Amino acid sequence: MRAGFLLPLALLIAVLLALLVGVRMIPPAAAWAALTSFDPYDADHVAFLDLRLPRLWAGLIAGTALGLAGVILRALTRNPLAEPGALGINAGAALAVVTGALIAGRGDGGIVVALAFPGALASMIAVFFIGGMGRGGAGPMRLALAGAVLNALLLSLTTGIVLLRSEGVEVLRFWTVGSLTQAAGRPLAAMAGLVALSALIALLIAPRLELLSLGDSMARGLGARAGRVKAAGLILVAMLAASSVAVAGPIAFLGLIVPELARRIVGAGLRAQMLAALLLGPAVLLLADVAGRLILQPGEVRAGLMVGLVGGPVFIALARRVRPGALA
Amino acid sequence: MTAGAKGAGMGSLRWTILATALLVVTVLGITLGETAMPLAEIWKGLRGEEGPAALTVRFLRAPRVLTALGAGACLGLSGALFQRLLRNPLASPDLMGFAPGAGLAMMITLAFGITLPPPLVSATGGVLAALSVAILAHRRDEGLAPLRLVLVGLGFGFTCSALAAFLMLTLPGPLALEAQRWLSGSLAARGWGHVAQIWLPGLILILLLVLQVRALSLLDLGDDLAQSLGLRAGRARMWLAATGVGLMAAGVAVAGPVAFVPLMAGPLGAAITGARRIGPALLAAALTGALITCGADLVARAAVPGVGLPLGLLTGLLGAPYLLWRLSLEIERGGL
Repeated sequence: MRAGFLLPLALLIAVLLALLVGVRMIPPAAAWAALTSFDPYDADHVAFLDLRLPRLWAGLIAGTALGLAGVILRALTRNPLAEPGALGINAGAALAVVTGALIAGRGDGGIVVALAFPGALASMIAVFFIGGMGRGGAGPMRLALAGAVLNALLLSLTTGIVLLRSEGVEVLRFWTVGSLTQAAGRPLAAMAGLVALSALIALLIAPRLELLSLGDSMARGLGARAGRVKAAGLILVAMLAASSVAVAGPIAFLGLIVPELARRIVGAGLRAQMLAALLLGPAVLLLADVAGRLILQPGEVRAGLMVGLVGGPVFIALARRVRPGALA
Repeated sequence: MTAGAKGAGMGSLRWTILATALLVVTVLGITLGETAMPLAEIWKGLRGEEGPAALTVRFLRAPRVLTALGAGACLGLSGALFQRLLRNPLASPDLMGFAPGAGLAMMITLAFGITLPPPLVSATGGVLAALSVAILAHRRDEGLAPLRLVLVGLGFGFTCSALAAFLMLTLPGPLALEAQRWLSGSLAARGWGHVAQIWLPGLILILLLVLQVRALSLLDLGDDLAQSLGLRAGRARMWLAATGVGLMAAGVAVAGPVAFVPLMAGPLGAAITGARRIGPALLAAALTGALITCGADLVARAAVPGVGLPLGLLTGLLGAPYLLWRLSLEIERGGL
């Protein structure tokens, strides 16, 4: 539990690094000056306000959203591999947005806000429908496999549409891997609001979600309306995934790494895990982004790829634990 | 007509359909493209007469189609072999992470400027990937469950793809673009060198596989029965797995880690031809793999004028719905 108190510190360090470190190092004094006495002819000031700050916001929004969504999904499914990226929920939101942009002929913030959530919800329903058929509900193996395939399908479709629109490589990478580099043109304020609202609701219904993890019948015995709580949890997941995709593209595996870390640091309590994820999610994502800026200078590695490099091995470690015969 | 003869008649009709489809796709593959070409021109090209059409056919279309056929057959065979060996329709080398492993090995040589024969590199990567996945998925209490193999392999594949994408960023611009295409599977700009690269090792591996068909059908009876019939089950299984990895690697070396072809070819081939015995089923898988790859490549370059879509995109669009359907079947049957 003591490690829990270090989490705010970790996030603070990540935020400072995300603001100041990169191919262009911005001295703290210049950053402060950019906020207090902005000089439009100072390159450091412009970079700080126009690039680093939006990027920080995107990282905070997407990191919080994906970390929290991972914790909720894991609690709902009792499956450590259930994660909005690996289940194809993020990819569904991305596909909806690029399809909308293809039909409307423009890809502005309005389309992103309008379509990300329906896309995320639709793909989530699809994956639970396929993974949850037959007896025994959505076992961990089924759900993970159905998710991986759905994810591959949706990403292929997204790639196809982006290529049809002959957009650049940067746009393709944003909508297939996810990155924080396109933050400036994203609907940051709207998504920040949505994530804050979702987080509040999640913290409020945490005890009821926790009852579900005892098993449906047990939860009903203790007075929870299992169906309703489940539906509320899943809608929250779709909202969180959609807002993360809207600002940072479909970043996979953050929702796998963060809940595992949170559980190890604060233990089994769901509300504590959620609070930890709210701090850990953005910390991990921002640190990944900073590492991506430094590792191949002057080139840059997208945050989505950096998270994926860590997430793959975590997926293997968690998959090793799953028992094929286990129902949940 | 007796029921058996009728069944055989139906069977040969189904084989004819598969063979005809393959022939049609091959011919279309040579005729269609940036400039459509009448058959007469192609005939001239093949007979060695001069002219622009002859050059296009001889140096662009024919090697591309032949590479696609060879790579598809090898990938399809490899998938069908692993599915039989592990008795699980999901246990194919692309899903289990072997193909991404081979792709990563190719990427490493490209990024560090090492020049080695591609099939060798790809085979090394495939073998290392297969060993790693087997070791990672092994549990002392439960041994090697096929489904855990698939799940761990899935994670291994994610990791390899991420590493390959990372290495790609270290390459200079034009090379990176080419590498990106290759990583999702591509048959663009294939020459006669590639044809040799796939068909020589491919034919040797197919020959090796033919020699092992008996062992595979014995293993299908269960280890105990196979042992009592004089088969060393462990060793036979190892050789079969090695052949499967080799076939997969040969395909990946020329076409890149094309998604879902190994997974689809076996079951689809069996569905088309109705083949149940192992020998015919493997033949059907090879033909179907070639059909899918050649057909997907044809659609990839001819579907949208001016836009060459990645081959892996097409096989992904084809394969993913199939796998979802297959998954739902397995789930309903209680196999998952």
